[in-house]
Amino acid sequence: MSAIHELTQKNRPGVGLTVAHTAALVGLVLGTGAVMQWVVGPAAGIYPATILRQIGIVAIAAVSLNIVNGYTGQFSIGHAGFVAIGAYAGGAVSFYANSLGWVGAYDPAGLLTPGHAVMLAGAAIGAGAAGAAGYMVGLPSLRLRGDYLAIVTLGFGEIVRVLFQQTQSQVFDPQAARALPISGWWPPPLGGAQGFSSVIPYGELFWIYAALALTVVWCYRLKFSSSGRAFLSIREDEIAARAMGVNLTRYKVRAFVLAAALAGLGGAFYAHLNLAVQPKDAGFQKSFELIIIVVLGGLGSISGVLLAAFGLGGLTEWLRQPTSVWPAALVALALVGVVQAVRRDIDSRARGRAMGRALLVIGVLTGLFEGLRAFAAWQGFKLDDIRIVLYALALISVMLLRPQGLLGTSELWLVPGQLMRRKAKAAAAPSLRTAGPADPAAAPATGVGGMGGGVTEAGGDEGWP
Amino acid sequence: MSDHTQANHTADHAPGPQPGATDVARALLRAEGIGISFGGLKAVQGLSLAVPPGGLDGLIGPNGAGKTTAFNLLTGVYRAQTGSITLDGRRIDGLRPHQIAKAGMARTFQNIRLFGNLSVLDNVRLGAHVRGRHTLVGTLFRTPAYIAQERAILARARQLLGVFNLLSRADEPAKSLPYGDQRRLEIARALATEPKLLLLDEPAAGMNPQEKRDLARTIQRLRREFGVGVLLIEHDMGLVMDICERITVLDHGEVICHGVPAHVQNDPKVIEAYLGEPG
Ligand SMILES: Nc1ncnc2c1ncn2[C@@H]1O[C@H](COP(=O)(O)OP(=O)(O)OP(=O)(O)O)[C@@H](O)[C@H]1O
Ligand SMILES: [Mg+2]
Repeated sequence: MSAIHELTQKNRPGVGLTVAHTAALVGLVLGTGAVMQWVVGPAAGIYPATILRQIGIVAIAAVSLNIVNGYTGQFSIGHAGFVAIGAYAGGAVSFYANSLGWVGAYDPAGLLTPGHAVMLAGAAIGAGAAGAAGYMVGLPSLRLRGDYLAIVTLGFGEIVRVLFQQTQSQVFDPQAARALPISGWWPPPLGGAQGFSSVIPYGELFWIYAALALTVVWCYRLKFSSSGRAFLSIREDEIAARAMGVNLTRYKVRAFVLAAALAGLGGAFYAHLNLAVQPKDAGFQKSFELIIIVVLGGLGSISGVLLAAFGLGGLTEWLRQPTSVWPAALVALALVGVVQAVRRDIDSRARGRAMGRALLVIGVLTGLFEGLRAFAAWQGFKLDDIRIVLYALALISVMLLRPQGLLGTSELWLVPGQLMRRKAKAAAAPSLRTAGPADPAAAPATGVGGMGGGVTEAGGDEGWP
Repeated sequence: MSDHTQANHTADHAPGPQPGATDVARALLRAEGIGISFGGLKAVQGLSLAVPPGGLDGLIGPNGAGKTTAFNLLTGVYRAQTGSITLDGRRIDGLRPHQIAKAGMARTFQNIRLFGNLSVLDNVRLGAHVRGRHTLVGTLFRTPAYIAQERAILARARQLLGVFNLLSRADEPAKSLPYGDQRRLEIARALATEPKLLLLDEPAAGMNPQEKRDLARTIQRLRREFGVGVLLIEHDMGLVMDICERITVLDHGEVICHGVPAHVQNDPKVIEAYLGEPG
C-alpha cells in the first residue's frame, strides 16, 4: 500500500467540497454568460457584440489547443479539423431537428427554448465526435515527435476537409427531410463542397461565453492538477517524465482528446453564429490562426492565450475602423508593468532594463499605429486593405521581442500571490542568512502557511475555482 | 545452498570476481548477464548485479565504462539484448520505463533532468504522480477522491522537501536552484515515487567536500527512514568506499571486480583499470 494511497484514504473529504466547487463552476459559467448577454452586449451594440461572439469562439478553440501545444509541448497543426467536426455535428443536429419538426420555430427572444436544448445536445455531440476523432488520430500518431506529429496533424485537418467535401447535398426541404429513409442519411447530407448552411442562430452571447467560461475553468483545473503536471512534465523533459512513471502515450492521448472535444464544443457554436460551415473551415489556414494565438499568448498560459485571442481580434477590428490607439497603449503598458513585476528570474536592474525595453516597444508601436492611421487618412486608403501585411508585421515583431509569448507560462491571476510571496521572502532573507542555509527551523514557516491554504483548495496554492 | 552463499557473502575476503557467487538469498534487484551493444561497441556485457533489500551498493569504473548505460538498461531506457532483470521477484526486463518506475525503481540522472520551469514543489509532486489514480472526471469535477489525493500528494511532497531542506524554495522554478540543491531535488523527486530501489548516477558530481559529506549522511538516512535500497554510481572513491556495502567495478562494459570495499580497493585489476596499463 503506497503512502499516497494511505494518506488519501485518511483525508477523504465529504461531498460538500465537490458540491461547492461544482456550484462555483456553474455560477461562473452562467454568470459570465449573463454578464455578456445583458451587460456587455447591450453596452457594446449589435456589431461589436457579433465581433465579441466571434472572438469568444476563437478563444475556446485557442485555449483548448493550448492543452496540446502549450501544456504538453506537442505540435499539433490540425486543430481546425476538430473545430470543423464540432461545427458540422452541432449545425446539422439543430438544422435537421428543426426540419424534422422536433422543435418549434426560432424565437429570437428566448435563451432556453427547446431549440436551445437541442443546440446544446448538438454541441455535446459535436464535442464527443471531435473527441473521438482526437482519440483515433492521437493513439497512433502521438508516438511521433516534433515535425512528424505536426505533419500527421496537418494531414488530419486536410482529410477532414476532403471528407466533408464528399458528403451529400443538404436537404433543405423539411418535407423531403421527413420523407428521407434511414439509408438516405448515409453518407450524411452535410452539403458537400457547398458547405452546410441555414443553421438556426442559437449562438447568443450568453451561450458562447458560458462555453468559454467552462473551457477556461476546466483548462485551469487541468493545468493545476496531477494530470496537468504530467502534461507539463512531458513538455519539460520526456525522458525524466517517463522515468518518474508518467505514461507518455496515455497522457499525450488524453491531452489530444480533451483539446479536440473542447474544440468541437467551440465549433458547434461557430456553426450557430456563422450560420454556415464550409469544408475549408477544417483547413490549415484556420489551424494556423489558432497556433498563432497560442504562441503569442504564451505556450501553456491560459490567460495569455485569452489576451492574445482578444488582442488579435481587436487588432483586426481596429484595422477596419482605425481609432486612436492611446487608450490601448496605456492598458498594454499597465499589463507589461504587472508582468515584469512578477518575474522571479531576474534582479531589479534587469527588471528595470526589461521595463525600459517594453516602454520603448509600446512607444514605437503606438507611434507606428498612429502614424499609419494618419498616413492612411492623408493618402485616402483603407488600412483594412493592407490588413494581412500589418497583421504579419505585428506578429513578427512580437515573436522577435518576446519569443516566449505574452505571459510565458505564467497566469495573470497568479500575479498577486507571486508578488506577496516575493515580499515575504525579501523580508525573511536577512534572518535566513544569519540562521545558516541548512537551518531546518526556517523551513516550516512557509510550510504551515501553505498547508493552511491547502485545506480549502484541492490544487494547493493555485486558488479557486 | 543458502548457507553457502550467505557464508560467501559475509566473508571479508570475498573470493574474487564471480558474479552470482556473492548474491544474497533474496535480492531486491537481480540482474543476470545483461548486455547491450551499440553498433560494434559492446557498451555493457554480461553484467550481473544483486542488491539486497535496503542495501547500498556501488557501481564504479573509469569514464565510458558503461555505468550509465547499465542504469539505462535497468530502468528500461534501453532494452537489454541479453540477460534478465528482476525487481523484488518480478521480471522487469522488457517493461517500459514508466512501468518500471511503478514497479518500484526510481533514478536520478548524471546530467540533471529536472522539470526546469516547474516549481520545486511541482517537481516532487510529479514524482508522487505514479502512486495515484488520475481520472479526467475526477480532475474536471473535483470529486472527493481527487481532492483527497491532491492533498495527499501535496502533503507528501512537502514532507520530502522538508527532509531535503528545500521547503523554503518550494515555489521557485527548479532551474533557479543552485547546482547542489538541484541534485538533491532530483533525489527528492525520485523518492516521491516511493521506490524500493533508488539508482543514483553520480549524485556528488560538482559538490564541494562539505556537500559531499552531507550527501553521504542523507543517503544513509534515506535507507533508514524510507527503507529504500540504493545503487550508486560515483567517481568520488572516498565517498563510495565509505558508504557502499558492496561494489561492482566495470571496465569496457565488463565486470572486472565485485566485492566489499576493502577487497575492491586492493584488487590489482581495479588499480590497473583506473591508472592504465602498468609499465
Ligand atoms: N546511445 C548510445 N549510442 C552509442 N553509444 C553509446 C550510447 N550510450 C552510450 N554509448 C557508449 O557506451 C559507452 C559507455 O557509456 P556510459 O555513458 O555508460 O559510460 P559511463 O560509465 O557512464 O561513463 P561516465 O563515467 O563518463 O559517465 C561509451 O563509449 C559511450 O560512448
Ligand atoms: Mg555515466
